[in-house]
Amino acid sequence: MSDGPRNASRQEASVGKDRAAQLRHEHHGLYSVWSASREAFWLALEALRAHKLRSFLTLLGVVIATTTLIVVMSIVNGMNLYISERIANLGVNVFILHRFQWAQGYESFIKARRRNLPLRMEEYEFLKENLVGYKNICADSRLGDIEGGGIDARYRGHAIEDVRLEGTTPSFIDMREEKVGIGRYFTDSEYQHSAMVCFIGQDLADEFFPNTDPLGKEITVGGANFRVVGVAERIGTAFGVSLDRFVEVPLTTYQKVFVARVQVSVSVQAWNSQQMLALEDEARTLLRARRHLPYKEDDNFGINASDTLMSAWKRLTGTIFAVTIGIVAVFMVVGGIVIMNIMLASVTERTHEIGIRKSLGARRRDILMQFLIESGVTAATGGALGVLFSFIISRIVAVYFTSSVPVHAVVIGLALSTAVGLFFGIYPASKAARLDPIEALRTET
Amino acid sequence: MTMASQVAPSLEETIGPADGIVIKTHDLWKTYEMGEAIAVQALCGVSFEIERGEYVAIMGPSGSGKSTLMNLIGCLDTPSQGRYWLNGNLVSELSDDELAHIRNKEIGFVFQTFNLLARASALHNVELPLIYSGVTALERRERAEEALRKVELADRMHHKPNELSGGQRQRVAVARALVNDPSIILADEPTGNLDTATGEEIMKLFDRLHEGGNNIVLVTHEHDIAAHAHRILHIRDGRIDRDERVQ
Ligand SMILES: Nc1ncnc2c1ncn2[C@@H]1O[C@H](COP(=O)(O)OP(=O)(O)OP(=O)(O)O)[C@@H](O)[C@H]1O
Ligand SMILES: [Mg+2]
Repeated sequence: MSDGPRNASRQEASVGKDRAAQLRHEHHGLYSVWSASREAFWLALEALRAHKLRSFLTLLGVVIATTTLIVVMSIVNGMNLYISERIANLGVNVFILHRFQWAQGYESFIKARRRNLPLRMEEYEFLKENLVGYKNICADSRLGDIEGGGIDARYRGHAIEDVRLEGTTPSFIDMREEKVGIGRYFTDSEYQHSAMVCFIGQDLADEFFPNTDPLGKEITVGGANFRVVGVAERIGTAFGVSLDRFVEVPLTTYQKVFVARVQVSVSVQAWNSQQMLALEDEARTLLRARRHLPYKEDDNFGINASDTLMSAWKRLTGTIFAVTIGIVAVFMVVGGIVIMNIMLASVTERTHEIGIRKSLGARRRDILMQFLIESGVTAATGGALGVLFSFIISRIVAVYFTSSVPVHAVVIGLALSTAVGLFFGIYPASKAARLDPIEALRTET
Repeated sequence: MTMASQVAPSLEETIGPADGIVIKTHDLWKTYEMGEAIAVQALCGVSFEIERGEYVAIMGPSGSGKSTLMNLIGCLDTPSQGRYWLNGNLVSELSDDELAHIRNKEIGFVFQTFNLLARASALHNVELPLIYSGVTALERRERAEEALRKVELADRMHHKPNELSGGQRQRVAVARALVNDPSIILADEPTGNLDTATGEEIMKLFDRLHEGGNNIVLVTHEHDIAAHAHRILHIRDGRIDRDERVQ
């Protein structure tokens, strides 16, 4: 008891020392996690480099999953761009009467093919006269609608194959995306008199009249001669196909020269979106009455609006994404399990190393981080490979179809693969972290 | 004896050691449970103190509990019973991570089998303890090089362990033990895997470290090696048999 005070003061000193050690510990705590993580990061990359083939096989699941995800997102993105362009092309508040309803299921299309009747010129005239309150109305008909192909256009020995030939009413130019570049569209008078005039796309102007004024020149389309009255502004391409390879002539001329009894699409423009439905209903009633359809029978024509297209497209992309998510999930889980197995093997293989690290002061969280980072980096490498592959695939797809890799697809792909690696790394990493230092050291490898 | 200390621990036994005592153990027991019925008593109530600056050898026959004791002193393991103070702090009841911190800061361990990371260079091996104490990369490298210079291996720092001789490997291990400036250096048969001449080199290294003010505790079978120490603890059947001071 005599040395009580001395002991007390010494204990105080030792408490102070404890505190100092703790402070130092806390001070270094975050940085040590960082420096240990950085070491783990380089170790993981080195391990990947050392066993290239094994790593690639390990990562196959994650690579396939990421590639699938990004490629599908890119194609859908490309389609989206296309579809929204098409919809813009339809014009605002426009609906189109046509023989068929667009984007319907296969079965209803087969049925419709049996009973639906094409729209005729007279029906267009009838709607134009009897429909009230619309802003604009036009009709058009293209050769492709019947024969599924284009036609040749010639000018002084130059020829362009597969030109889209279309017969239209003069109001067509006001309702569609096309704009007059030079010259003019054909007039009501030219329309009424079935004049041999045409309005051409930029591709034809470039090819036939690179250095001369196209206006007033005569070109030959499908064997008949037409005088050029105007050239459209350039539109561009979709799915790798130029949209500027067209010739438009008055619908009346078209009927006279090419097709005896044309089938048309009738586009009606409302003043505003609120008016759309009422106008659609009116057009439907009028056309049904003219076709003498009994009350109970379905329409034998289709009324299409941009929202028809949009909802059909949304349905389609919904299905595509559901399927894709399923595929991606399966591959990710498979890939994750493979990574987990490899990590478990790696923990066993490196038990001695873990023992050494622990004997030198690695805490549980240091070891945990090391293995989590390793599996995260491994999976992220798979993700990066997936990104690379999907860029290549997307390039190829874009040549034949349409595809555009969106940035968010890359971000999602990388984030998802890393997350999978981290998640499936938890079990092996915590197993490693919990190892007893002495037993780990004693393990021979 | 254990029962007695449990029932009525004396003050001296429960409050910490005096100043200048680096290691104090009181009644350390280590029991390995080998199954339902069998238990191996590796240590049976070991108590001793080591003062600052001492150079201690632990000797004893095989299986007498030397490594078990070293692992306890080195905070690699925890006793089944008993207390252990390191630098006045009671460490026998600390958690895993707290022990890891002590191993990192206070203890430099040299193993019979070197225990270097095979894939890492000598320099990286020496840097490891510093990585876990959060020393910046630049300082880490400086200190690791300094430690390698102390063991005269500066010219081999980029070699991997399998490109080094046994003696060189053990010198890397000693550099690693030194690098974080620990309170004690523990060595479990550091010359056990080396020939006599190389072993003698390593012992000279320890002598120098001791002269530089380091505390050294080493386990050995050989009297020649133990002769470097100033004090020899003889262990037999998990008990301290004899505490011998040598000049
Ligand atoms: N993990 C373990 N499980 C069970 N028994 C163990 C374990 N480690 C050591 N022992 C036992 O404890 C006793 C002491 O072992 P220890 O390794 O401390 O001996 P040692 O003095 O270092 O021997 P040596 O000189 O051969 O290295 C031995 O009887 C050994 O069998
Ligand atoms: Mg031993």
